[in-house]
Amino acid sequence: MKPLNLIALLCFLGGATWALTRSDRSVRKIQYHYYSALLPILKSGSAIEEEARNFTREVQHSTELEAELELTRAELSKLRQIEQRFSDLETENTRLQDALEFKKNTPFTLIAARITRRQTTNWYKTMEINRGEESFIGNQNPVVTAEGLVGKIDLSGKEFATVILLTDEKCQVSAKIEGSPEVGILSGRRVDYGDPPMLTLRFLSKKANLKKGQRVFSNGRGGIIPANILLGTIESVEAGAQDSEALVRPAVNFNDLVTVFVIPSAN
Amino acid sequence: MLRYAFSLLILILLAVIAQQFLPAFIDLYNARVFLLLIVFLCIAVSVPLPVMFLYALICGFLWDAQCSLSSPAVDTSIYTDPVASLRFGTSILLFGLAGLLMHGFRPLFLQGKWYLSALLTGIATFLYCLSEYSMIDFIRGSFTVDRGVLSQCGYTALFSVAVSPLIFGLLFYLARLFRHSIVESKRPKHHFS
Repeated sequence: MKPLNLIALLCFLGGATWALTRSDRSVRKIQYHYYSALLPILKSGSAIEEEARNFTREVQHSTELEAELELTRAELSKLRQIEQRFSDLETENTRLQDALEFKKNTPFTLIAARITRRQTTNWYKTMEINRGEESFIGNQNPVVTAEGLVGKIDLSGKEFATVILLTDEKCQVSAKIEGSPEVGILSGRRVDYGDPPMLTLRFLSKKANLKKGQRVFSNGRGGIIPANILLGTIESVEAGAQDSEALVRPAVNFNDLVTVFVIPSAN
Repeated sequence: MLRYAFSLLILILLAVIAQQFLPAFIDLYNARVFLLLIVFLCIAVSVPLPVMFLYALICGFLWDAQCSLSSPAVDTSIYTDPVASLRFGTSILLFGLAGLLMHGFRPLFLQGKWYLSALLTGIATFLYCLSEYSMIDFIRGSFTVDRGVLSQCGYTALFSVAVSPLIFGLLFYLARLFRHSIVESKRPKHHFS
């Protein structure tokens, strides 16, 4: 081996060792600076994406309108189009009202956030939102929707935060089951490409008497996730040698998320 | 060489930015165009070993800065079985190993057979993804490689093979622009009497 190559290899291994021995705090700091540097680009990218989506929607509507005009040339079709737009707006309005209602009815202070990116890594199930420390969002804060728990904050920057989803194996939540004394730990599964991806409820008693459809809620133990947030419904139960496990269908449709709510640390 | 090497650094940073806007394909088992790795693999075969190591360090560092998960302090009396994730810095080693694989076939690239290197980016990507997954599997204490995982790695590798000719084209363009040769110039044929 050439001396220069050997020196390069040693420097490389030295650099790798330095990185591998960083504390969790140092890593957070590195990530904070990394995302802060990328934030202006991500913001403008997100804005362009939004504009592109609006443009596509507009084009779609224009094409539809033109086709309708060519077909009938009648006022009725125009009205139908308008009606369709109204229906879209009504749906949007209902969705927003539901969100508002949820925010009003919930006993916590909630911070609304928009999802900016999804599935940013190869194997971990994460997403990014457009709110961070400036909105009093901190690490480990729970993220919810009107349907139930979405996940928790993994890293929060000034104006962004990374959320680790409930469907990831690393996101563990202490859970209880409606109408049953059973408690367990709910988490995502390492590999699940199903729609929806299922969750696993572990450490149930060996003879857990559970039925399909029973609802699973957070029980508030461990201090991170508040009690009584809906997590999902029981799909099946499998008894093991020492305990039993249940397969849980998540309450939230993770593919359909647009807006989420963060329960900040102040709660 | 210096100007070419510097332009590659810019290319890597651009790949990091572009990577932010390349989502995973849910219908293809969450496979993605792993642009940062593709760019690195293409660069790895076109530069000397010390430069490759330098870029492996940079790319691995940046990828880990994007992907690492925290190890939160949780109540261990409740969460008795915390789930580990890969340490920050693991990607540096993986990028280094993938770069070494590419570099091993550099003689073919120097002969101008870049298309073989393009195929090799697919193999390197597949191995990278599978190693990354296997390491997660190992530290979490079970072995769960199934068809979905292999499909995700496979589709990601296919994307690499498809995209790498473009990156090689860009590298040849940059080399020409900075008057640097990344392949050996053709030797005159020897005629024996």
